[in-house]
Amino acid sequence: MMTKLRNRDLVIRGLIQENTIFRQAISLCPAIAVTSNLRNGLMMGLAVMFVQAMVNITVASIRQFIHPRIRLPIFMLVISGWVTIVDMFMSAFVPEVQAQIGLYIQLIVAFASILAGAETFASKNKPVAAFFDGIGRGAGFLIALAFISAVREILGKGSLLGMPILAGSKPLLIMVLPAGGFITAGVLMALFNFLDSKYQKKSEALAGSAE
Amino acid sequence: MIGPKDIFKIMSNLVVIYLAGGLILVSAYAFTSPIVAKNDANKKNQVLKSMIPGSEKVVKLGDWTISDKTAEYYKALAANDKIAGYIIETYGKGYSSNIHSMLAVDPSMRIVNITILSQAETPGLGDEVESKWFKGQFIGKNLSNMEVVKTTGTDKIQALTGATISSRAVVNSEKAALEFLEKAIQTTSSTAVDSSIQAVAGATKATATNASQAGKQ
Repeated sequence: MMTKLRNRDLVIRGLIQENTIFRQAISLCPAIAVTSNLRNGLMMGLAVMFVQAMVNITVASIRQFIHPRIRLPIFMLVISGWVTIVDMFMSAFVPEVQAQIGLYIQLIVAFASILAGAETFASKNKPVAAFFDGIGRGAGFLIALAFISAVREILGKGSLLGMPILAGSKPLLIMVLPAGGFITAGVLMALFNFLDSKYQKKSEALAGSAE
Repeated sequence: MIGPKDIFKIMSNLVVIYLAGGLILVSAYAFTSPIVAKNDANKKNQVLKSMIPGSEKVVKLGDWTISDKTAEYYKALAANDKIAGYIIETYGKGYSSNIHSMLAVDPSMRIVNITILSQAETPGLGDEVESKWFKGQFIGKNLSNMEVVKTTGTDKIQALTGATISSRAVVNSEKAALEFLEKAIQTTSSTAVDSSIQAVAGATKATATNASQAGKQ
C-alpha cells in the first residue's frame, strides 16, 4: 500500500510518532554502545541517516523486480553494500573522521532500524517518498542518540563535546559504562512518551473546546 | 505454491543483484584503495617526523616481529647527524583489536613520545588509550615503569577505568618494544659497526648469540 502522507509529514513521523529509539525501541544496541560522548552519538546518527536514506532509495527503485520470497537477503545486500561504500569513501577522503567512527560505520549493517525501514516502507513506496521516510527515521535516530549521549557525557565525564563544563565535580563513572546507557535511554524514553501524551491530551482538549 | 517461473525469477534476481552489487563494490574499492594507501603512508611519515622534537632525518634500521606482525624501527638524527633518539612501531592485542602504536625514546631509552596509529577498542572505554592523559603517563618513563596498576600515585602506568585489557595491551606492547630496542641498540654499539641498515637488520640474531655466549661465560 502506497503512502498518502506528504514528504514533510513523512519526516515528522520518523522524528516523533515512529521515533526509532523512543517509540519503536529498536536498534537500542548502538544507542547504548556508542553514546558515551556527544560527538560519537552525533557521528553515528549522521552515518545512519545517510545510509537509511540511500538504502530506502535503492530498495524503492528495485522493488518491482524483486521476488517477495527473497526480498530480505536482497535488502541485506543493499544495506551492506552502501555501508561498505560509505566506509571506503570516508577512509579515502576524510581519514581523520573515519579513524574515529569507522568501527561504528561497519556496525550499521546489523541495525534493525535500517532493515525495518526498507521492509515496512521503502519496499512498498516510490523512491522520493522512501527518501524522505529515510531522512525522517535517520533524523529521529540522530536526535535520540544526541540526547542520550549528551546526558551521559555531562553526567559521566563532566564535559560536553570534550569541553569540561562541570569542573570540580566528581563524574559518575556508571553513566559512561553500559549500565548508564540503559538507565539514560530508559529515563529519556519515559520522558519522551510523557511529554508526548501531555501534548496529545492538550490537542484533544483544544479540539474539544473548539467544537 | 512456488512454480518454475518463481524459481527462475528468484535465480535471476539473485544473480543480477549480487553481480551488480559486487561490481559496484569492486569499482569503489579500486577507486578508493590507492588513495587510502597513500593516506596511510603519508600519515606514518608525518608521525615519524613529529615523534622526536629536533630530529631532522628518520632512517629505518630494520624490522622486528610482535603479536604475529612485522613492525619497523628507526633512528632519528638531529641536524649535526647526532642520534636524537629511536622510534619503534609496535602492536598489542587489546580487547577487540590490535592496537598499533609508535614509540619514541631518547638515546638513554627514556620515552619521549607515544602515538596510537590505529585501534578499534570499545568506544568510550578502550578507545581512551588515545587520550592525552593516558599517553601522557608514558612520557619520561622507561622500561622499569612499564607495568599497569589500578591505583594512583605510582610511577607505573595507571589503567583506564573500565578498560584494563586495552591499557595492558598498550603497556605490554611498549614494554616489548623497549626490550627489543635496548638489545638491538646495545648490539650495534658493542660490535662497533657503523649502524648501517644491514648491520642492524641482523641485530636480533646477533643479540641471541651474544646472550648465549654471555650465558656460557
